[in-house]
Order: sequence, then C-alpha cells, then structure tokens
Amino acid sequence: MSVEVQQGIATPRIPAGLGGLLPALILIGLFFVVPVLALLLRSVTDPALGLQNYAALLGDGTYARVFFNTFLVAAVVTIVTVLVAFPIAWMLAIMPQALASILFGIIILSMWTNLLTRTYAWMVLLQRTGVINRGLMAAGIIDQPLPLINNLTGVSIGMVYIMLPFMILPLVGTLRAIDPMTLRAAALCGASPLAAFRRILLPLSLPGIAAGGLMVFVMSLGYFVTPALLGGTSNMMLAEMVAQMIQSLLNWGLGSAAAFILLVVTMALYALQLRLVGSKRAAGGA
Amino acid sequence: MKLIFAGVLAGLMATTAAKADEIVFTSWGGTTQEAQTKSWAEPFAASSGIKVLQDGPTDYGKLKAMVDAKNVTWDVVDVEMDFAIKAAKDGLLEPIDFAAVPKADLDPRFSNENAVGSFYYSFVLAWNKGAVTGEPASWADMFDTKKFPGKRTFYKWSAPGVIEIALLADGVPADKLYPLDLDRAFKKLDTIKSDIVWWGGGAESQQLIASGEAAFGQLWNGRVFALEKDGADVGVSWNQNLTAADVLVVPKGAKNKDAAMKFLAAATSPTGQAKFAEASGYAPINTKAKAEMLADVVKGLPDAHVEGQINLDMNYWAEHRDEIATRWYAWQAK
Repeated sequence: MSVEVQQGIATPRIPAGLGGLLPALILIGLFFVVPVLALLLRSVTDPALGLQNYAALLGDGTYARVFFNTFLVAAVVTIVTVLVAFPIAWMLAIMPQALASILFGIIILSMWTNLLTRTYAWMVLLQRTGVINRGLMAAGIIDQPLPLINNLTGVSIGMVYIMLPFMILPLVGTLRAIDPMTLRAAALCGASPLAAFRRILLPLSLPGIAAGGLMVFVMSLGYFVTPALLGGTSNMMLAEMVAQMIQSLLNWGLGSAAAFILLVVTMALYALQLRLVGSKRAAGGA
Repeated sequence: MKLIFAGVLAGLMATTAAKADEIVFTSWGGTTQEAQTKSWAEPFAASSGIKVLQDGPTDYGKLKAMVDAKNVTWDVVDVEMDFAIKAAKDGLLEPIDFAAVPKADLDPRFSNENAVGSFYYSFVLAWNKGAVTGEPASWADMFDTKKFPGKRTFYKWSAPGVIEIALLADGVPADKLYPLDLDRAFKKLDTIKSDIVWWGGGAESQQLIASGEAAFGQLWNGRVFALEKDGADVGVSWNQNLTAADVLVVPKGAKNKDAAMKFLAAATSPTGQAKFAEASGYAPINTKAKAEMLADVVKGLPDAHVEGQINLDMNYWAEHRDEIATRWYAWQAK
C-alpha cells in the first residue's frame, strides 16, 4: 500500500510512451492487483459465499474498538509528526545549501536503517528499566518509572520517529518554494513574527502539510511492527488484528475482509491526497 | 514500504523450496531452535547426507496458506500439540510413516497418527531476584499485586496455559480445571490486567525477566534454564508447573516427505532427544533418552517435578481452540 502511495506521488500523471511502461505495469498487476483481488475474493467466499465476514467485523464491538484505535493512533501520530516536522523543515529550507544537504543525509540515513532495529532501539529507550526512565530516576525527577511503552505513548513516539522523513521531505519542498520576500514584506508592513507565521507562512505551506500529513496518516493506518512492539494489546491496531486472525485463528476470510476494509479506507484517503497534491501543483505551476 | 519489500522478498525466497537431498525445518527461533539445530539437524546431516535448512518462526497461518496453495516449502515443522491435533482434523498434515520412524520408545502422550513428540515442557513461575522481594510460591501470588507489586508477564497468544493459571489462582482444584470456566478465568485476569506485559516469543520472555522489565512471569522452563545458564539472577518455582508438548509434523504435500520422515526418526531417537534435553532443559519424549543423559541434567527437567504437576489438556484445547481464541483476543483488545 505504501509503495503505491510513493509511486503515486512521483507519477500522478501518465506520461506519453505507455508502451515502455508495459513491463512495470505487468509487474504491478501481477504482484499487487492480483493478490488484492484474491484477497477480496477470499473475504466473500471463505468459509462460505456471502458477506458474513463483513457483517461479523462491523457488528462486533471488539473489532469496532480496533478500528477506532487504528484511526486514533494514526491521527495522533499525524498531528505530532506535523508539529515536530515543521520547524525542522523550515530550518532545512532556510539554512545554507551545504549544511542542509548534510542534515538531509542524516534524515534519509535513518530511513535506510532496518525498521525492526529502530523499533527495538526505542524499546531499549522507553521501557521501565530503559535509558530514559533510569536517567530520570537517577536525576531524581521521578520516583516511579513513567509508563512509556506498551501503550499509546509508546506507539506514538515510535511511529512519529519513523514517519518524520515522510513529512519533512514534502514540507521542505513546499517551504523552499515560498518566496522569502513575502515574509520580509510582512515584517516591513509591521507584522510580528507570530503574525507573519500565522498569516503568511502557514497558509502558504498548507499544501505541503496536507500532502505530508495525509501520507503519514495513510501509512500509519496500516502499520504493524511498531504498534505490535511498542503498543499494548488494548490499543491494538487493525494490521495486528489481521495478523492475529490469520496466524492464530487461521480465519483467512475474516482477516481478508478486515484487510480489505483497511484498503478501501486507505484508497479513499489516497484519492483525496492525489487531489490535494494536484491542486498544489496547479498553484505552484502558475 | 520496507514491509512490502520484505514480503515480496520472502515470497521469492519461499519459492526456492528444498531440493531432493535437502529438507526445510521450521521452529520457533532463539535458544530452542539453536538446540534443535545442534542436537538434531547437524548430526543428521552428517550421517545421512541430507542437508537441513533452517527456517522460522513457526507460523500457523503460513502453514495453512502453503497447504491451501499446494506450494509447501516446509518439510518438518515444530508446532504446539493442540494445534497439531486441530490441524490433523483439518487435513493440513501428512500421516507419520511409522515404518521409518520407530514408535516403540516414544511417550504415547505426545505422539499420534500425524505427529511425533518434539519435546515437552512446563510453564513455570520465574522471577528476577533483584526486582522481587520474597519468593512467589504459587500462581495465586502472581495475582496478588499487594504482596508482589510489579509487572508480570504472560504468554500473549491464545494457547493452553494462562487461562488455567488464572483458574488455579482463583482456587479451582487442578482436577476440576476442565471444561475451562472462561468467564471465571477472564474475571480473575481482569484483576491484574493493567499489570500484565505480554510476551510473544521465548526470547522476549527472557529479556523481560532478565532486565527486570517484568518482575515475574509465566515462562517456558527451557527459557529459564537458558537464563540460569547465562548467569542471570532468576528464581523459579515448579509449584503447579503446567506441562504441554511441542510436536513435529509434516505439512500435507511436503516436497521431501521421505527425507522428512528420516529426520523425524533421528530427532526422536534416544540420542537426539538426550542431546536436545541437555542443550535446552526441556524433557525428552523418548523414554530411553534418560539413560544417555547426565544425572544432574535429568534433575532439572520437567519430569523431575511431577509433584503438583498439571498436564494441560491438549485434546480439550484442540476442540475449543477457535472459541477460546476469539474470546481471548476480544478480552485482550478491551
């Protein structure tokens, strides 16, 4: 799913010379479209023909709670990611090119490190006997370890960290495109820095925030490893539930239905994102 | 994105099934699979010339998918016994060829038409001595947060063990455990729910106890054995230890069935079982194995702790697996 998001951003329009794309299209068809169709088929045929899997999912309080959790986590992660990413992106946009390249390298480097390794690193930091809690207790700031892991806090911290590059990169692009003169003009007209931010910078960077935010939200919806390791069972997300249905209950029908619902929601949001990115391009191109 | 790549890669790798003189053995990873590799796979490969490729961890969903898709890349899989009984009923397993696998000395509790024992183990109460004051003596103590404060860790997945522990702690006598009173068990578990940290795999349970992240918990005895061997400061109570078994199965349609049967014969032989027990601390399922083992190793095995030992009912679990699992995960997600 996330791969499609990436590719969608890179090539929202179908260029001329479709013939050369044929191998790629066949590959995508074979490895993405066919399995997804098989998934859909399974969700309405396993164990019997009909919509009973969807009825079971939508009619059960447990699954409803998991759906709610999934959206809650994705929303929290998106909001925090935007708040953290904005100052970093701004700094990258205005700093000298050479320095910015180095910082970019560092941000990208984190994406090249194995996801599982990074998540385990957070476990070491966040757990009750972890670096953060031990440090705070040694400094006398707290008496009892803070509950930073196996809950919403843990999931949010771990996922924000992983999502940051996906927010920073589009945001830097948007911020760089903003003419710095507009801010100087605002200052000359007597706007305080805060007013300049609120009335000039923020509205102009909104397309970048929307694009990055949606991408982070959509990716968060389907995340598995980080919530599974840093979260608790009571804030289980959909992907983990799907894994459970398939691995433990061997209920492929129910698991497929849950996965398909997630896919439909994701695609709807993706369509929204395409429209937003499209409008940004139109505005930027003018 | 990486997950998808990993998935595609795994798919590509899965298509390279073992060749005729190879088998793929799948188990649970960590210290257990290492012991299986050293005690079974390596000597077997040396004597038979059949290469044993290691894969893992065991994943029941994957096993079913392979059989359904008629593209089985695992030849021998280490599974929990209740799963094996259920899987055999669902037609997911090959029958064991007892002409190739000598049956006479195998503990009949852990073998049937479609499975031979791998090893048997006990769930024991283990704790980090640095994190617990006093010595918890029974499962009831794991539910007494006043006497024993701190996080406690239990097995995350729906499987024989935790439900029984809750019932025992609530005062149900060992011989009255089955049929399981799920309402009562979940009510008891509710009382400590916020203090539970779940472990999903053996290595995780070791890490939680060794670091003191969880003060105490329900662990596989072999994992505690490994911690003790590593010099970790852990205590263990065998009181009301709960036995269950892992078995070795051959998925339906496995490509190297004959070689797989030969491997099963080696793994369940007295020597294979004795070596594995010495390396892992789990009990052998071959009744002749103990004769080949050192006396002090025998002392540390689950069958040296039969007093107060409770056998988890694999047949009951095989029959009610789905029903219990549905309730279990619903309760966890609350």
